[in-house]
Order: sequence, then structure tokens, then C-alpha cells
Amino acid sequence: MKRMCSTGFLAATLSVLVAGVAQAGAQDAAPGSLQALRVSGTGPITEVAGATWSQAKAVKVALQPQVVATPTNPNAAIKEVTVRSVHNGEWLALLLEWPDYTKSDAVVVDGFSDQVAVEFPVVYKADAPPSPMMGNAGGRVNVLQWRAAMQRDLDQGREAKIQDFYPNAPDADLYYTNILPAEAGQPYMGAKGLGNAVSVHGHTPVLDMMAEGFGSLTTRAKQEANGKGVYRDGAWHVTITVPMQPTADNAPKLEAGHSTIVAFAVWDGGSQEVGSRKAWSDWVGLTVGK
Amino acid sequence: MPKVMNWQIGREMDYPYEGKRPDTQFAMIIDTNKCISCQTCTVACKTTWTSSRGQEYMFWNNVETKPYGFYPLGWDVNILSRHGVQDISGPVYQGKTLFESAPDGSMVLGYLPEDVDYAHPNISEDDSVGQLAQGAFLQMPHMQWMYYLPRICNHCTYPACLAACPRQSIYKRPEDGIVLIDQSRCRGYRECVRGCPYKKPFFNSITRTSEKCVGCYPAVEQGRQTQCTMTCIGKIRLQGFISPPGQERPENPIDYLVRIAKVAKPLYPQFGLEPNVYYIPPIHVPSPFLKQMFGADVEQAQQAYRKAADDKQLLAALLLFGATPSILHGFREQDGQAIGVDKKGGELVRVPFKEPIFVRPGFDEQFQTHRSNAT
Ligand code: SF4
Ligand code: SF4
Repeated sequence: MKRMCSTGFLAATLSVLVAGVAQAGAQDAAPGSLQALRVSGTGPITEVAGATWSQAKAVKVALQPQVVATPTNPNAAIKEVTVRSVHNGEWLALLLEWPDYTKSDAVVVDGFSDQVAVEFPVVYKADAPPSPMMGNAGGRVNVLQWRAAMQRDLDQGREAKIQDFYPNAPDADLYYTNILPAEAGQPYMGAKGLGNAVSVHGHTPVLDMMAEGFGSLTTRAKQEANGKGVYRDGAWHVTITVPMQPTADNAPKLEAGHSTIVAFAVWDGGSQEVGSRKAWSDWVGLTVGK
Repeated sequence: MPKVMNWQIGREMDYPYEGKRPDTQFAMIIDTNKCISCQTCTVACKTTWTSSRGQEYMFWNNVETKPYGFYPLGWDVNILSRHGVQDISGPVYQGKTLFESAPDGSMVLGYLPEDVDYAHPNISEDDSVGQLAQGAFLQMPHMQWMYYLPRICNHCTYPACLAACPRQSIYKRPEDGIVLIDQSRCRGYRECVRGCPYKKPFFNSITRTSEKCVGCYPAVEQGRQTQCTMTCIGKIRLQGFISPPGQERPENPIDYLVRIAKVAKPLYPQFGLEPNVYYIPPIHVPSPFLKQMFGADVEQAQQAYRKAADDKQLLAALLLFGATPSILHGFREQDGQAIGVDKKGGELVRVPFKEPIFVRPGFDEQFQTHRSNAT
């Protein structure tokens, strides 16, 4: 079956966006572009406060409602995200902060998770950047999405259980886990049994993915990104950190002294934002400091 | 948007994908007149498919008492009121489908239920529409009534769940039309939960993906009917395949009951999904209510059903419900017996129109004991 889409409208929208992007990419030191400041240390940079971030320049990035792909979100809740960037020669990190008066990290039918995502072109060409809206065919992007619900699991040190959402819920009489060894129980675990990254309780609250257009978002074979989210004083403070020299395909090489572009998306769980129901930004220039 | 032909509403309609019918289409017929709401089907489904963590309140098969029972709470009245008043009077539907009513920026008109809506799966069980006045006696149709509505996913020809998923994580199998959510692609956006008017995709808060009735596909692949069909105490279900419109085979019991005898009707055909679970409407319920639920010509189905005793072909098809675990591809009436056959015409089951009666003496000589009668 062939999906219908208003191709003409999409193409027009993309060409406008891409024109804006080329400019942002070319002017590395343009006002509003990010500088990843060199800091000391090694390994992933996950802390959300402290000396690491004290010198990094804050850039306010405007967000707009996603109204191109169906379903749309014309009344997106979050309008702006404050971004800082640092690197230690091995790992680059972005600190993303936005006010949110409802902390949403419990996922039930009508309960959605707060989320933020960072997007890089896998290969950056200043004259032909990919679409900032999930990339395009031939313009692959690397998408790193932090989820409050996954942060909650990590903070609790275990995967979610039904009593987290319904404190008085009794366990069922018998679960497969009571009788079957882990491997034999796998077919009964749905998405978990298949290793779907949104289901599996892992070591990171950040999903490391790639995309080539709307609806194509796919988990990377290797999950390299990390990060941490802290909810404090009515705002989220989230780091997303990636290795500058990825060890698997579909992630960008980030080299000191070079420039690239980066885009952002924020979901407000309390407003039932999820998937394409989000606020997104255009590309922003990012210079990796020497 | 492409136009597709929906035979249940007698016209073409908008659908986000080009119309391509599967080679064969999973279908089920449910006789509401015989359901006793024992929930054996619900339990059979639950123990087979939804006994894991995060599925505690998930029922791919549920049986609700109409008009006041719902699972999730108010599912049909909710979407009906959003859909608004539609003209359902004629054989060609004049109103709008849920795809044609989609708000800007959506594929389909829908709504997301609240979490608590799933908390009372058997709410209003056995509640009648009212009390009988002193001295009243029941007439046909009944003045006060209720009936049981067993529900699974309809494995729709034009699924709203599939249309609503922006990731195309939902697919309809070309070999049998069963609609599945790919558990490795689903990211838990719940667009299918929002989009399906029958509310048959469910969200699992432990796996954080949506899950739905799989039409017991491993059984169907082996030529076996679904768990809910095989375990049904009342023998009220028949599961098999329905042929594309215009290619009916009178010997296929599903084609015969739905398209030829026209005794079984789809659930809310005006939504435009071409659902493939067909209901024999309850004959004791006044038709205005049933017209909204099963379509304009529901009275014709009630009348045909009431004459089943005189219609050997119809009686034969009805007697094959729950008679064999195997999927029937053909049936015939012969010498007062209903005979069900497989794809190659081989006999699978034989059901007599009249059960033989055995009479035995009240005193059992062999065991020197008295026996009381049991039916
Ligand atoms: S009943 Fe709902 S879940 Fe099932 S195929 Fe139709 S739209 Fe999808
Ligand atoms: S098992 Fe059969 S009779 Fe019992 S509730 Fe289910 S459909 Fe009705």
C-alpha cells in the first residue's frame, strides 16, 4: 500500500527550511549559534550542574509547533529551550533546560512522558544539510531522545512495575516470570522480548536513533548516547552526551575546531505530547571548541 | 486521498492508503442471541495472550452488556457523540465516515480514553434499560431489554489504527487480513488507541507499546479457529474467512450468513472501517437502537433469523457454530444434517438438525442404582 502525502506542500516547506539552514551552518560564530566549550575530564558528561557548565554560553533556541506531518500539534506547549554545550575531547554534551510546571514521568494510557531530543546530521555538508524535520531520503540524521520515564526507572534502580502507577494494584496470580526461565519467557514479553529500546530497562535514559524522514525513526544497532535529567524548581535540566568518535555507523564524527548543525525537539507529557505531537527547532550552528 | 470501496456502506470513501484487499480476510460471526456472558472467551483469550506484566487490565476479548456496559467506559457513546448525527437511513450511507470527519492534522476522528476508563471491564453487567411495570409481561420486541455484546478487534478492511500510526508500525497481513502491531517498531505514541473507534488497541505501561488482538494467528495459520471461538460455551461464534465483495461463495458459511442470508451485520458500519466481525442482532431488542449499532437493514436480519427453523440452509450454517475447532471453508445440508468441510471438500464435522433422544430405565440393573434424569 502506498502512503498518501501532500508532497508538493512538503517539498515547498523543506526548501524554505533548508535555505535557512544553509545560512546557519555557514556562519559558525553567528549570534544564536552554539559553542561547545572544551572542559577537562574524560568519559561521558552527564552532570547537569557544576563547574563543567559554568563557563558554557547559554543560547535560547526558539521552538515551533510541528504542523507538517500528521498528526500535527498546532498548540505545542514548550516555546523555547535553553542550550549549552561542552566537550572533553572524547565526549560532547548538551545541557537542555526548559520550564515545565508538571513533571510527567509516569506512562499510562493517558499519561505521557516529558522528553527532549537532539538531532545531528550524520554527515554534515554546509551546502546541502538534511531537513531538520527528521532528515530526508539521502539526508540521514542521528536523533538522541531523553525520556523522563526512562530516567525514572534509572533513578529507582529498576524497571517500572504496575504498582508504580496503581499503588493498590495486586499482582496477578501468576506471571510467566514466576515459572519460566528468562529465555523461555521471552515470547510472552511482547516488545520487551523483542528488545524494543522503548521497553527495555537499560543503562541510559537516552535513546540513540537515526532517521531519514517522517516515520522512519529507527533505533541504532549500538546505543552509545547517555545523559541524565533532573527536575528541579519547576524546570527540567537534561544532559545528552555522545562520543565524538562514534564506534558504529549512523552517528556524526564531532571534531574539535569543526562546525556542524544541531536541532532540538521538546515534548510536554502533561499536554499529551508524543511522537509528531511536539515542538521543534530549526537547525542551529554548533562549533566544537579547540 | 485515495478512494476505496466499502461494501458495508454501499459507496466509495476516503482512506489514507490505496485500497488493496487481502487474498483472504479473517472474519467472525457472533450470535448475540445465544451469548450468556459467561466470559469463558475473555478468560481463554486472557490466559493465552495477556497474562504478562502491564496487561493486567487488558482484555483483547471482552463481553459487555448493552446498552449500559462498555469496555473501556463509554467507548461507543463517546465516539458517536463526537461523530455527530449522521444519516444512516439508506442502503448507501449518506453521512460521513470517521476518516471523512478527521479534524485538520489528523488521519481519523478519534479520542484517547482516560486511564480509569479501563478500570471497570464488566461495568453494568446485566443492567436492563428499565424496570417492568407491575403486571407487565414481555412482548416482542421486549419493552425492557439488554443483551450481551462480545467484542474482539474487527481486523477491519480499512483499519483506523493502521491509518493513524505515523510510523507505519501496524500492518494488515495480505494472507489473511489479520491486523498486527509490530512490537519492534511501535514506540508507544498511542495514535492507534486514539484512532480506533472500537478501542481495541491497548497501551501497555510496562512495555510502553500498544498491543492488540492478534486474531490467534498461530492457530489460524494451522487452520484452527480462534481461542474465543473454540472455547465458547454457548457455541455462539464461527470464525473463518469472508470473500471479497462480488466473489461470494454460497458454500462458505461466512459468505452465506453475511452476504446471502444477510443475517449477520457489522458493528457500527457508519464509522467506515469495514469491520470483519459480524453480529447476528438480538431479536428481542427494538430496532431503533440496533439500527445505529448494526446498520439500517438490521430488521431484515432479525426476521431472517427468526425464520431459521424453516430454512434448512440457514439452520445448517447456524448449527456449525462451535461444532469443530477447524476453520470451515464450506458447508452443506444433507438429510437433516449440517456438514462442514475443509478447503479440499473433506468432511470435518456433521451436526444433526435434531439431537437423538436416548431413553433409559429409571433403575440401572447393572449397578443396582436409581438414576435421575439429566438434560
Ligand atoms: S478494530 Fe480497531 S484495532 Fe482492530 S483493525 Fe479495526 S481499527 Fe484496528
Ligand atoms: S464464551 Fe461464548 S457465551 Fe460465553 S461470554 Fe464468550 S461469547 Fe458469550
